Amino acid sequence: MSGIEILQIWIIAFFTLALFSFLYKDNPFYRLAENIFAGLTTGYQVSLIWDTVIIQKLWDPMMGGQWWLFLPGLLGLMMFSRFSPKISWMSRVPLAVVMGITAGIFLTTQLHGFVLPQMQATMNTFVTAKGFADYFLASLIAVGVISTMIYFYFSHEHVGVLGVTAKLGIWFIMISFGAHFGYTVMGRVSLLIGRTQFLIEDWIGTFSYIL
Amino acid sequence: MTIWERFDNMDRRWVYLMVALAVIIPFLVPMKFDISITPEVQSFYDAVDNLPDSCTVMLVFDYYPSTAAECEPMAIVAAHHLFRKDCKIITLSNIPYGGPSMAETVTRAIAKEYDKKYGEDFVNLGFKYGPIAVLKGMGISIESIFPTDNSGTPLAELPMMDSVTNYEQVSFIFEIADNATADYWISIVNAGYGVPMGVGCTAVMAPKFYAFLGANQIVGLLGGMKGAAEYEILIGKPGTAYRGMDVQSMVHFVIIALVIIGNIGFFVTKRRNRKKSA
Amino acid sequence: MRTTLPLAVAFITGVVFVITFFLNEESAIVGGISKQLLDWLIIIGGFTLLLGVVSILRVSWQSVERRKEDWIYKLITILSVLVMAIPGLLPESWSSLFGRQEGSIYDWLFLNLQAPMMATMFATLAFYIASAAYRAFRARTAEATILLVTATLVMLWRVPMGEAFLNLFSEEIPGLINRYIMGGVNLAVQRGIIIGAALGAAAMSLRIILGIERTYMGKS
Repeated sequence: MSGIEILQIWIIAFFTLALFSFLYKDNPFYRLAENIFAGLTTGYQVSLIWDTVIIQKLWDPMMGGQWWLFLPGLLGLMMFSRFSPKISWMSRVPLAVVMGITAGIFLTTQLHGFVLPQMQATMNTFVTAKGFADYFLASLIAVGVISTMIYFYFSHEHVGVLGVTAKLGIWFIMISFGAHFGYTVMGRVSLLIGRTQFLIEDWIGTFSYIL
Repeated sequence: MTIWERFDNMDRRWVYLMVALAVIIPFLVPMKFDISITPEVQSFYDAVDNLPDSCTVMLVFDYYPSTAAECEPMAIVAAHHLFRKDCKIITLSNIPYGGPSMAETVTRAIAKEYDKKYGEDFVNLGFKYGPIAVLKGMGISIESIFPTDNSGTPLAELPMMDSVTNYEQVSFIFEIADNATADYWISIVNAGYGVPMGVGCTAVMAPKFYAFLGANQIVGLLGGMKGAAEYEILIGKPGTAYRGMDVQSMVHFVIIALVIIGNIGFFVTKRRNRKKSA
Repeated sequence: MRTTLPLAVAFITGVVFVITFFLNEESAIVGGISKQLLDWLIIIGGFTLLLGVVSILRVSWQSVERRKEDWIYKLITILSVLVMAIPGLLPESWSSLFGRQEGSIYDWLFLNLQAPMMATMFATLAFYIASAAYRAFRARTAEATILLVTATLVMLWRVPMGEAFLNLFSEEIPGLINRYIMGGVNLAVQRGIIIGAALGAAAMSLRIILGIERTYMGKS
């Protein structure tokens, strides 16, 4: 392992430990690492967006003859009017473009991509069921979907049949959230494993070269 | 003060120490429990394995470096599986932090093992801002969204991209995500263009994707590190996810033990308070 | 003008994409219009991200200028932005250290500082979730008990040691958890939430296109 590689690993280890030190209590090393991290993350975006969007999607095509792209460029610049209260209303126009296109795409894709296939699947489970176990599962899913949706339906007071179904919905939701929690533990631990692996295998591994 | 009350008032840093030890010890003393294969990972593996040889597959790096420990093993193992089948890989990312760099590092390293050449066997399209526009736009023309690859080479100069115009030429999409972009891939690309999809996601997101799995909107699901470990076993390349499962076991047991101790303390204290007030 | 123009723009762009959904995207006119507008979305989106960057720099600089508490850290933030951004912006043709390619300063800083730090930030959550589970996970009510029992079962099922433990009772248990908890109750709840959220998103989209929903424009 070269000296540069060892230095590199020690730099990473320093910042890793500095960030972990917050678990004990707030301290200047943590604050230093935190602010460097915030700065680097912001700086990363500048170069990336400049190159992949401003140059590749705006400047180069404009220079290549697509002169009309000055319009989205201008709209993009209008976003910066938000810094001046007098002309900040101008930023509404590019925002409206973003909101309009997104809404146009969402209106159809949310229904076509989520609502219809999910409803269809709930019904299909009965069609494809073979035997008691499958029918039981299909019924469990159908009852769960309906009671969950009723629980989240706030336009009517949850009393009577609606109240009972909503109560059933809460139990279903609690089971799902419990499952979520079980999975979340795994997710968080995975991230810690990555850093521990680095500290034990890479960083402590350099000790044999140094000592 | 009883032992339960002491447990109840324990400084949180003792809990942190227990977790830290539970993570470190298995690294030093591996346990090697068997890992069973779940149907959702098996169906993912089968779907990839049954793809026609030399077909084009999109491998999407929609995760941040923060979840690389969980998601990168999925990308690595998928790249092995796809290169082994001589599939052409298109990588891309909708993440403004690190996606393209991680795609570059993973695919280039594994391509060497299979003697695959950049531009002929795999291409890294890189990143463009705005997943909705990117996903929708690639349905019309990939080149209109990504005029160049990640390093600035025009797509027209990459032989592999000669035969790929839009999703019609893509046989499978493997979306590896730690955020909502996976939803867009399902609602915009799978539903709109019918391309078969598999999802590899963080464990936090996995429960949601059972709904898509049940509706056959995705053919398989790799949920968190366990999903990645199962996939590693299926292709016979146990890696970091497989090794990580020992630590997972230990930490999960520590947390379960803490929950049990906390609840015993809660009930003992509650009972005592009830007796006192009676 | 200040309100009507944005409303008209949102209406036109929204309607275009609703219509194109039902038409052949590969036709010259429909494809051409969609492609142009999607490019516009990417370009404007890029500027909004840069707006965020300018905003962070502005706020940080104000703290430095006015020597507010912890201004030195804000100065470090600004310097870090410059250290990362400037080499990435300079052309590769000047030096292999510039630009964004492998081996550049930008790439080195990402791989050796930013990525590990981001991973560490999130890794600390493992400690917090353990502490939260210990303090807050109490079987106080029937609902809380259901949540607790399910969480414990799923935690056991997801790890090899836990699965081995469950197998001591019956080898059927892991399969049953997967089929009835994850693929049954959990699937149903997630499906209910997905359908509800998608209906909500579609309704909100319609409100935006029709100009009923205007909160994105801020105060008038």
